[in-house]
Amino acid sequence: MKLRDLVAEFGLTVKTGAGHLDNEVTGGYVSDLLSDVLAHAEDGNLWVTLHIHHNIVAVAAHTSLAGIVLIQGRVPDQDTIAKAEEEGIPIMVSDLSAFELVGRLYKAGIRGAEAL
Amino acid sequence: MKLREIISLLHAEVLAGEDLINGIDVDRCYSADLMSDVLGRSHANGILITGITNPQAIRTADIADIQAVCVVRGKQPEAEAVALAKQKDLPLFITKMGMFEACGILYTNGLRGVAERQ
Amino acid sequence: MTLERKEQGPPPDRMTKTQEMVYELTVGEVMPPTMVTVAPGQTMAELRVLLRDNRLSGTPVVENGKLVGMISIEDLINALTDNAINAPIRERMKTKVECLYADELLVHCIAKFSKFGYRRYPVLNRNNELVGIVTKGSIVEGLLKKLEVEYEQSESKAALTRQRPTMRKFFEDVTADEISFAFKYNIAGQTLKDAGKAASELKNALKKLGVCPPLLRRIGVATYEAEINLASYTKGGVIRAQVEKWGVTVEAIDTGPGIPDVEKALQPGFSTAPDWVRELGFGAGMGLVNMNKCADEMNLRSSVPEGTHLTMQFYYTS
Repeated sequence: MKLRDLVAEFGLTVKTGAGHLDNEVTGGYVSDLLSDVLAHAEDGNLWVTLHIHHNIVAVAAHTSLAGIVLIQGRVPDQDTIAKAEEEGIPIMVSDLSAFELVGRLYKAGIRGAEAL
Repeated sequence: MKLREIISLLHAEVLAGEDLINGIDVDRCYSADLMSDVLGRSHANGILITGITNPQAIRTADIADIQAVCVVRGKQPEAEAVALAKQKDLPLFITKMGMFEACGILYTNGLRGVAERQ
Repeated sequence: MTLERKEQGPPPDRMTKTQEMVYELTVGEVMPPTMVTVAPGQTMAELRVLLRDNRLSGTPVVENGKLVGMISIEDLINALTDNAINAPIRERMKTKVECLYADELLVHCIAKFSKFGYRRYPVLNRNNELVGIVTKGSIVEGLLKKLEVEYEQSESKAALTRQRPTMRKFFEDVTADEISFAFKYNIAGQTLKDAGKAASELKNALKKLGVCPPLLRRIGVATYEAEINLASYTKGGVIRAQVEKWGVTVEAIDTGPGIPDVEKALQPGFSTAPDWVRELGFGAGMGLVNMNKCADEMNLRSSVPEGTHLTMQFYYTS
């Protein structure tokens, strides 16, 4: 599934990286612990978090993530936006809580990086 | 959803509160690695799914009247966290699943999220 | 911020609970399980029969599963006046409709009721499909039902453990110019090892004094966040709680380094947390925001490098 499809299906607001919505989503990762994301997220994962700090862009770029979804309407910092545009990382925003968003992504067929 | 059912869906291992599990039934789920995210939500009859392994996960659940805690990503909670869970009569269990998978499975089986406190 | 409260008669305990519940219940939880809808192609005459038979004063208009309008007894009266009783509902319905979402908290819903003044609101799920309808009546019914359940639960608990005299009763029985219970906890700085212990102990103490669970939770959460702040950012400090006739005051006082920009610190998401705090599950810039939401009154005074003095007040009825 492409990011573009998820943006349409879940009504995500695209904040950055609009030119990279053809990124293929290989799975999902939800965490607010940057060290866990670095250790466990896989290439092409969609990362769900509530962090708005610019560190998230570095983490996403380092792990080659497909994109970042900020939950419950969080607004990314100015330097987060600037950095994400520079690195070509799509940042999207959902109004849902992590649990509700992840539940729906799962129902749509996205699986976790660490499935049993 | 019965706590017993959740434990079985997540292939979880119980570390504390085994004797309390059969009496607990929840309908909501708090999933978070940031404890303030949990504390900022309204009250609900729910469990907490987290990657936090220190005693703060248990403190948070206790303060927020949460019924049980599940630690994901195959992490081992600190000994102090397990001891605190036992002291507070709070069921604590662990699963090798990631948070994404755990949430997806519980959502599919009927659990719902918790709204933010306004 | 005001420390004085007008003297009121002791409000019934239930009142406090009801008010707390509007923050906990969602629209979906009080919504009646069934509803009657009409199609835009039906006539006003058909609507009249339907309203009469179901004792309704209004109903949503639905086409292909989507809400297209609302029609009420008022519209029916206007149609009668205009001699348009055989007109299709489509021509007489209101299409500008204020909706509620099933997962919205009752507190929003009540705000909408007073803002727009309509009697009934269609309820949508997040896919914008109509799932029900709520009126003021259904909210009252939903609250009563929930109260009844909680009352039964507390009754059975009371039978198991001997009921303790509540704090309110205590304040009624004992007279003095001023009565208060004071609690003090010392909080170590620069370590999260024991953070939360004070909040937990205070919550237990207040429980023993008979503070009702929703208020207990609010005080617990706010105190916990305050404690986390003392432990994460300061050289240490104290948490004081004072329980009085009108409510509870919680103060967090530290000896530095102080907050340079208090306004900025109150913004959601703003944080100066070091990585060790973030990896322990805090430091997302939500602590002060949470405290502000939980407390009825909050006051934050800080000076660099002397320190910070946070005061939060919680009323038994708010």
